[in-house]
Amino acid sequence: MAKLIGGLGTSHVPSIGAAIDKGLRETPDWKPFFDGYIPGQDWVKEHKPDVAVVIFNDHGNSFFLDKVPTFAVGCAEEYRPVDEGWGPRAIPPFKGAVDFSWHFIDTLIDNRFDPMICQEIEVDHGIQVPMELFWGRPAEWPVRVVPIFVNVIQYPIPLPSRCYEMGRVLRQAIESYPTDERFVVLGTGGLSHQLQGARAGFVNPEADRAFLNDIAGDPDKLANMSREQYVEMFGSEGAELMMWLVMRGAMDRDVVVRHKHYFVPASMTGAGMIVMENMATASPAVAA
Amino acid sequence: MEEKPGQDRIPDTPLFDRKRSLGGYRINKMAMGLSRPENREAFKQDESAYLDRFGLTPEEKEAVMTRNWREMVRLGGNLFFILKISAVDPVRITEIGAHQAGMEHDDFLRNRLGKKV
Repeated sequence: MAKLIGGLGTSHVPSIGAAIDKGLRETPDWKPFFDGYIPGQDWVKEHKPDVAVVIFNDHGNSFFLDKVPTFAVGCAEEYRPVDEGWGPRAIPPFKGAVDFSWHFIDTLIDNRFDPMICQEIEVDHGIQVPMELFWGRPAEWPVRVVPIFVNVIQYPIPLPSRCYEMGRVLRQAIESYPTDERFVVLGTGGLSHQLQGARAGFVNPEADRAFLNDIAGDPDKLANMSREQYVEMFGSEGAELMMWLVMRGAMDRDVVVRHKHYFVPASMTGAGMIVMENMATASPAVAA
Repeated sequence: MEEKPGQDRIPDTPLFDRKRSLGGYRINKMAMGLSRPENREAFKQDESAYLDRFGLTPEEKEAVMTRNWREMVRLGGNLFFILKISAVDPVRITEIGAHQAGMEHDDFLRNRLGKKV
């Protein structure tokens, strides 16, 4: 059966992609941010996942307000970068793990989750930036993807606990998938930021650091928080952090944290990264 | 049920609820249009005519044409859509933030985002 080898979490701030495009990686504003991802990239190189399930939100690019799916799952052969206003970014298209996507959709419906099914869809920075942060800029992506879109913009947005439950179904889908492929799950978004209203520019480094601890050690606490608590603590746009719970729900109760990184501000956002493995199946620790 | 500004449960934090989404539909649809190159060109050539295509009210039109971000958001504009205006008429997102916060840009970077400027 397929195997979940890791749970990754990361911010997906669009300015990160723009910084890469403009060659700003080594500038004082960005270098400490990008350097913090090197251990995460090394982990990916060492563990060579075959499939990446990426949970993110569209930012008014692939979907408009005329049709807003609460949860949508991609099952396309290929996902091209969408034009967000500046023209599509020059990164390779993502190859879809089509067969697993359908298996996951079947498993969701059997478990009373009813997602929108997308056979043809372009994707925005919500998935692009996390892939670039962990896999760099290869000529072709060495991993196939399954995009899960979560509506965190148009209220009512889903409950954090619902994201966590969806993760449990994702785990069941991976564990019942009859190949020997190696899976990683990426929860993306956040951390604290607010782009709208007079509280724009709100960041909360203390809450962000606590979140990075709790996502590993006490995810039930995070799943039981209300949407309003997320907005209050992490800002109106930072509430998207609840998407990390899909990733965490796919993992065991006990996990090992391999790498963690926090940097503020990336543009207007507290930016964070984590790499976790299930404790029961964790790879031998690398000698420090 | 008229919701006045300031009635948000979390102060100064507008959530994109049913009322805002309905109210802001024209502005957001106009901005969504800017994800197509031919519409970006039309916006640059004759902004007023481009806005008219989406039936913006005079109030909405003025907010867009004066790049009054605070007002656009008050009228139901959602930042993820209206940000596309900055692809045609460049402005940094931190400037959009500072405008909404009612702060000078440097103050905003220092006091909200903790940058050393």
